[in-house]
Amino acid sequence: MNKPASSEIRIASPVKAWASRFALLLLVGAAFGLMLIGRSNTFIVEETRSAVTDMVAPILDAVSQPVETFSGVIEQAEALANLRSENLALKDQNARLMKWQGIARQLEAENANLRQFNNMVPDPTITYVTARVVGDPGGAFVRTVLINAGERDGVEKGEAAITSKGLAGRISEVGKRSARVLLLTDINSRVPVVVGDGRDRAILAGDNSNAPGLLYLGPTAKVRIGDYVSTSGQGGVFPPGLPIGVVSGVTEKGVRVKPFVDWAHMEVLRIADYEMIGIADFEEQVSAARAAVAAGDAPGAAQAAAQETAQGDAH
Amino acid sequence: MRQEEGVWYRLDNVARSISPFFVTLLLILLSLVPLHLADLSPIVPALALIGVFFWSVHRPDLMPIWAVFLIGLVQDVLTGGTLGPGIVGLLVAHALVVWQHRFFLAASFVVVWCAFMLVAAVALALTWLLTCIAMVTYIDPASVFFQYLVTIAVYPCLAWAFLRGRRLFQR
Repeated sequence: MNKPASSEIRIASPVKAWASRFALLLLVGAAFGLMLIGRSNTFIVEETRSAVTDMVAPILDAVSQPVETFSGVIEQAEALANLRSENLALKDQNARLMKWQGIARQLEAENANLRQFNNMVPDPTITYVTARVVGDPGGAFVRTVLINAGERDGVEKGEAAITSKGLAGRISEVGKRSARVLLLTDINSRVPVVVGDGRDRAILAGDNSNAPGLLYLGPTAKVRIGDYVSTSGQGGVFPPGLPIGVVSGVTEKGVRVKPFVDWAHMEVLRIADYEMIGIADFEEQVSAARAAVAAGDAPGAAQAAAQETAQGDAH
Repeated sequence: MRQEEGVWYRLDNVARSISPFFVTLLLILLSLVPLHLADLSPIVPALALIGVFFWSVHRPDLMPIWAVFLIGLVQDVLTGGTLGPGIVGLLVAHALVVWQHRFFLAASFVVVWCAFMLVAAVALALTWLLTCIAMVTYIDPASVFFQYLVTIAVYPCLAWAFLRGRRLFQR
């Protein structure tokens, strides 16, 4: 069945060569057109993306389960080998944590007392949706994952994706039964944070490497390796105090943060709805400045952050 | 009876002629599956590039340029990156192979692999450049380079599997 095809090609090759050259130009042009649409009209692109992702998510869900089981078996074998040393390390850690638990209990009681004392507004209730990570595109250009929960499970755009260790990212696209999480390490991710005991404010900016950098750190800020980095709550996307990571490098080029989340073993994500009021404004700001940045959160977050700082100072 | 055979024969033909396209789409899905194994998971090979290159070399009639465009589109949509750069990369890889198709007619496996190293370098470099331009940022080319190395290392395994599959089909 192959031979007739190849002889046909030989006869019609000049015509075909012409047609294919034209088709190449046309399709490359179409690709550039898509690039422009992607830049200018993010809404259509997002809708298309979530529709396609929705179609693929059940397949990925089915395929990723045996893979997860397999990697689980390997992990168990590894764990079995390190049982003794791990047990010792855990005992040591347990002793230290017991001490911290005591301190935390004491502080919790004290905190509750003080809140009552000051008539403080209670924190909003948090609702969680737990979802499995079913897709990890990898590659050099993006750091996102797909999860098997979407609109029908109550997932909304902008919500925080967290693991037991800390913040992993935020929901960037939502389909009916799947959603995409923009990880902290993605080049489009910008998260307002506070650093260290001095609570210096900065923006955590991903660059597709495993250790995102800190932007807009004040000139007086003193940052050391090992300093704790958590969300500042500015911009109204995340609540303050979500753990992110520790400062892993301070050089002339900038400050690097190592997130707590173990990217290689991120199998389940909790999507937390903190009922942040800032999200509505945030979305408006994004649509207003949609052409500015691909994910569009840098100027929006910075602007909202500035507003909130002003409010905070006024109080 | 004979007519029925004809129908099956035709269906079989259709299945064979669209299989390169669907196999390449399947490769894209495969590259999306989270492996949870190593810290190196960000550097997954560009499997769609391997598929497009392989079929463009061995069965260009079954990997037409519009199929390459669709594969690129699906890849860019699913990976969540900027739409466009990945498509252009695949289209250029396909165009390079078609342009030099006479060279590939008599080429041995190793020579085709070497050619893939060149084509993949051009395609990934172009994808990187266009992504940087489209996002108006500078993306560290080191990770692209690692992805390139992994991709050319994976090529022989996949090409071997494809060749086996092709032989099964043609028997």
